[in-house]
Amino acid sequence: MDRPIAYDKLAREERFVRMRAREVAELKVAQGLPPFPDLSSRESIKERVHGIMVGELQAMEGAGRSVCDFPDAPWDFTMDMARQVWDESRHVEIYLRLLEHLDGYAGEYPETTILWRCACAEDAAARVAGVNRGLEGLACDVFNQLVHIARKIGDPVLERAVDFVLADEITHVRMGSKWLTKLTEGDAERRRRAIEFQESIDERFNLGGVRREGDHDAVSISIATDVRRMAGFTEEEIERLIKTTQRSQVY
Amino acid sequence: MSQPLEGTFSAEHSARLLRQYRYVVERTMRALGGWIALTPELSAKLLMGRHVWDLAQHCDAFGQRLPELRSHAQVSEAANPAVATFMDSLEDAEGPDQTVERLVGVYVVLKPHLLATYRDHLAHANPVYEPPTRRILARCIDDEERHIAAGDTILKYLAAGPRVIDRVSARRRHLDGLLAAAGGVTGAGLPMREALDVAVGQAELVGQAELSDDGREFIRLERATGAWPIPADLEKAQRSFADALVAGDDTALARLLVPGLELETTAWALLRGTSYSHHVTVAFARLGHQRLVKTRLDGPSSSATVLARWVSSPEGWRIAALDVAGRDGVRPA
Ligand SMILES: [Fe+2]
Ligand SMILES: [Fe+2]
Repeated sequence: MDRPIAYDKLAREERFVRMRAREVAELKVAQGLPPFPDLSSRESIKERVHGIMVGELQAMEGAGRSVCDFPDAPWDFTMDMARQVWDESRHVEIYLRLLEHLDGYAGEYPETTILWRCACAEDAAARVAGVNRGLEGLACDVFNQLVHIARKIGDPVLERAVDFVLADEITHVRMGSKWLTKLTEGDAERRRRAIEFQESIDERFNLGGVRREGDHDAVSISIATDVRRMAGFTEEEIERLIKTTQRSQVY
Repeated sequence: MSQPLEGTFSAEHSARLLRQYRYVVERTMRALGGWIALTPELSAKLLMGRHVWDLAQHCDAFGQRLPELRSHAQVSEAANPAVATFMDSLEDAEGPDQTVERLVGVYVVLKPHLLATYRDHLAHANPVYEPPTRRILARCIDDEERHIAAGDTILKYLAAGPRVIDRVSARRRHLDGLLAAAGGVTGAGLPMREALDVAVGQAELVGQAELSDDGREFIRLERATGAWPIPADLEKAQRSFADALVAGDDTALARLLVPGLELETTAWALLRGTSYSHHVTVAFARLGHQRLVKTRLDGPSSSATVLARWVSSPEGWRIAALDVAGRDGVRPA
């Protein structure tokens, strides 16, 4: 088997439209719209849910590649990645059904492939740092807020489903922290590169101030400090993330 | 009633069998994991995604049992080089248009054979001193029955049509031959033919729903899109556009572009001159107030997929960007 594969090998049905994230954001801004869907209307919630659905799809595909690409990694690493594949496949199902619940459909918005690109990192340590800690950390922020909004608008279907997905994501972030440490034991340079990779992703997903510390109703993506603590981020890491969001460039 | 105390094989032999199972199951698990990204169809993606973890747990259970049988933990062993050749061949279907070949290898050839092998092993493992192995086998049998049933459901859905059915038969013949040449995953010969048929025939749908592992639901989710909510005026403009693409009508195409966008600077320059006989809309997405429509053009010798970004204007819908999203694109399955 080809290991690893080039990122452009990602296979999709024709009904999906793939675009660069930057292009999507620029085209929306040009129409006077926010670059990233806020959660102010049912339509914007649906768009956010679609974005999460394709993210779950890519998370499943990425974790699957980690099972495949690293046969020489510790067996327990493969076990964790295999478990994550299972979780993500259920998340895909959950979000497809939530899309139906919101009268949407798969392919209704363009798909961007940032998560998949991170999942193509050649080093396993960089993958878990970038995907499990960077992007699934972001998922914790987004899902935590979505649960709150769902409760507020009285949508128990959305609230419950996302609540359980959030529980899984916290587990995936923990896996990321565990394997970032274990895989880079005795190799400070490898660890430094992996963390740098994660920080570049964190920075990118601050989305020019869209992600911030703040009330769920006041900001587009609120940093879930309690959930992040539960997921194994240190106080120092949370503090640093909040600081970087404050100096983030406007998109 | 007491169980017979005489056994059919030694602890050493039992350990060898578990290492041999672990070899094929581990390779299958890694292949399924890797294939998810290479497989376009959502139903097949979900199927594979569901089964990677079960197989990892089977490997882990075999691997943990090994030291209890005076062997090293988590070790895999090919029964013979021909088993490795069989697995190499099973793994080699990596193209986006080879989903059917991937599913046949795992769900039609390997898994029914594994199921029959596990059942045979269970029937011969002594119930007094081999319960730890028997428990593992019982769990694997249970999972394999579910997997085979779900795989069969998805394969029937994706492999409809005579040409695909030929591909299924060819792939099955090829891999069956290699597996037989290897003497099965243990190298000791294939389990009785009847056992194999029973294995496939008894694969039940029961339990799939409880474990959210139901192939029928994966198919429903794949097909859930239904009709796209394309506004009538956009649909009309899109039809004119697609007709003009097929007709190679530059003037009609140019009329549909936003002012300032030259046809020569769009992806149409790449397609002009190729003969297409019909078109079909394959995707419809929103981008703010704009709409993205993907059109597949099919011709006698090639096909292409074109993505148009439409904007609404006082003059009606106009194209603000035109790109080629794919050429000679593969068909699903
Ligand atoms: Fe997920
Ligand atoms: Fe996850």
